[in-house]
Amino acid sequence: MFDFLVQRAAISVVTLFVISMIVFTGVRMIPGDPARVMAGIDADAAGIEEVREKYGLNDPIPFQYVRWAGLALRGDLGHSIRTRESVVKTVATKLPITIELAFLSLLVAVSIAIPAGVLAAVRRNTIWDVLTSGASLGGVSIPNFWLGIMLILFFSVRLGWLPASGFVPLWVSPLENLQRMIMPAFVLGTALAAVLMRQTRNSMIEVLSADYIRTAYSKGLAGRIVVFRHAIRNSLIPVVTILGLQMGALMSGAVVTEQIFVVPGFGRLIVEAVFTRDYPLVQGVVLLTASSYVLINLLVDVSYSLLDPRIRVGGSASGA
Amino acid sequence: MAPSATATAGELEPTRTAELVPRLRRAWRVARRRPASAIGAAVVGLFVAMALGAPWIARVDPLQTDWKLVRKAPTLAHPFGTDDLGRDTFARVVWGARISMQAGVFSILLAIAVGVPTGLVAGFYRGALDQVIMRLTDAWLAFPFLILAIGLVTIMGPSLTNATVAIGLGATPTFIRLTRGLVLAKASEDYVLGARAVGAGDLRLMSRHILPNIVSSLLVQATISIPIAVIAEAVLSFLGLGVQPPAPSWGTMLNTAQQFLDTAPWMAWWPGLAIFALALSFNLAGDGLRDLLDPRDY
Repeated sequence: MFDFLVQRAAISVVTLFVISMIVFTGVRMIPGDPARVMAGIDADAAGIEEVREKYGLNDPIPFQYVRWAGLALRGDLGHSIRTRESVVKTVATKLPITIELAFLSLLVAVSIAIPAGVLAAVRRNTIWDVLTSGASLGGVSIPNFWLGIMLILFFSVRLGWLPASGFVPLWVSPLENLQRMIMPAFVLGTALAAVLMRQTRNSMIEVLSADYIRTAYSKGLAGRIVVFRHAIRNSLIPVVTILGLQMGALMSGAVVTEQIFVVPGFGRLIVEAVFTRDYPLVQGVVLLTASSYVLINLLVDVSYSLLDPRIRVGGSASGA
Repeated sequence: MAPSATATAGELEPTRTAELVPRLRRAWRVARRRPASAIGAAVVGLFVAMALGAPWIARVDPLQTDWKLVRKAPTLAHPFGTDDLGRDTFARVVWGARISMQAGVFSILLAIAVGVPTGLVAGFYRGALDQVIMRLTDAWLAFPFLILAIGLVTIMGPSLTNATVAIGLGATPTFIRLTRGLVLAKASEDYVLGARAVGAGDLRLMSRHILPNIVSSLLVQATISIPIAVIAEAVLSFLGLGVQPPAPSWGTMLNTAQQFLDTAPWMAWWPGLAIFALALSFNLAGDGLRDLLDPRDY
């Protein structure tokens, strides 16, 4: 168990190292002088010199990397070209909004996907199964930004029930916050629900054919109790892993969703940063996103091994 | 000695011509059993025809602006209505199929071209090389697709080609992992060991014995990946990071449409429906294909 955690953590550290190298190289692939790229188009000679000094841009590349990585580890990802604010601080102000959105959409996804997936598995090959599988396929195929536009068209433009865009912080008015977050959360949640539904169904079908389920039935337990007390719990373990792997999709989805509903979160920040050629900000956001993805999946693996003691390193090595 | 040895190695794998007839028969059976997949395949075919025949299907120039026809609701002359510059939405949707197909197919071809050989080498040789490739793949996979694409487009600049490359590179690790896993499973099979025993070299083992036996799984993955790539192109173009106006991409059309939801909602219906229909039919067809090629699963 301990060995497993150590090996898993070691792999994550290696992955983080490679990620940092990719990001570091990426910025240097932008055409032009890296000092000018990092300081911004309208920086003066002093500003460019400051950047050159800070990152040691006259040193050999490996030294530059070490210096840059050292600064990054201490939480210094440079300053936004546009606002002059530190990248970490800028991200920190935007992140809670995206986390709220992600949390709400997770709520939407789980509350649709798990009951539907269980239903499809228990009533396998009936109309329920066909309906949920169809819905899942539709959910995977529908471009979520179009779904967002259609929701705005229907609920905001046609019916006038919900505001089409904007954001009100939770602590200012929880009700208004929810009114504005419900459509984005639904859009982001359905894409996730489609994937989770399929996973829940497959994993539930597998569990339902296990010996202990047959034993539970032959003991004379009611079907309801077998499903709820025995099957669901065990079938949800792989679903947790999928949830971790879907975090990346959720972050990608947040970028688009925030753009449509004008939610001033993390996703909107990165799109703005690209358009204003705010390279330090793009670099910081990309690095932070990829790193948090690795850490989230490490946590998922750790919790997975706590949930299921059968997991051993062998299992993860063959999957790597 | 050598020629007979290779002949023996060749006989160890199933000959493909002999498999064609039963395969077609099975395709027909699958089509009858899964009408949804058959319809999906037909719709994909329709979209391909639309992409190839765009100049003949859309009789109006998709870039032709007309100030007298700004944001007109659908009529007989303009079945999908017109957009904010008086361009025919139908013509733009038809031409958009070309861009979507291009991005969807070429990006996945790129992912296959890079991912399959890499995965093949990693799974075949294992050891340190495998470790290096897999750690790189892990790191690559950690970039959420859109974030990666945004990063790449920032470096390369927005265009259809760059968006296609970005999408392809985003899909590459999936193919590396899949290929490697399949190779690991096949490399210890008797027919591979047999071929090696009679003297087949590494390259021959990989290309003639392993690759043909994993091709169907790769094909299935490709049909799953293409709709994702099609949506990805639309997303990038929607965000302004892909195809640039005035080219008729479904994503850019939706971007413009969003500004006129209250006055010209039809501008938002058709491009989105087109993406949805194309992605859905690809997925349906892919399900059928998986049934056909991989009968053991599911």
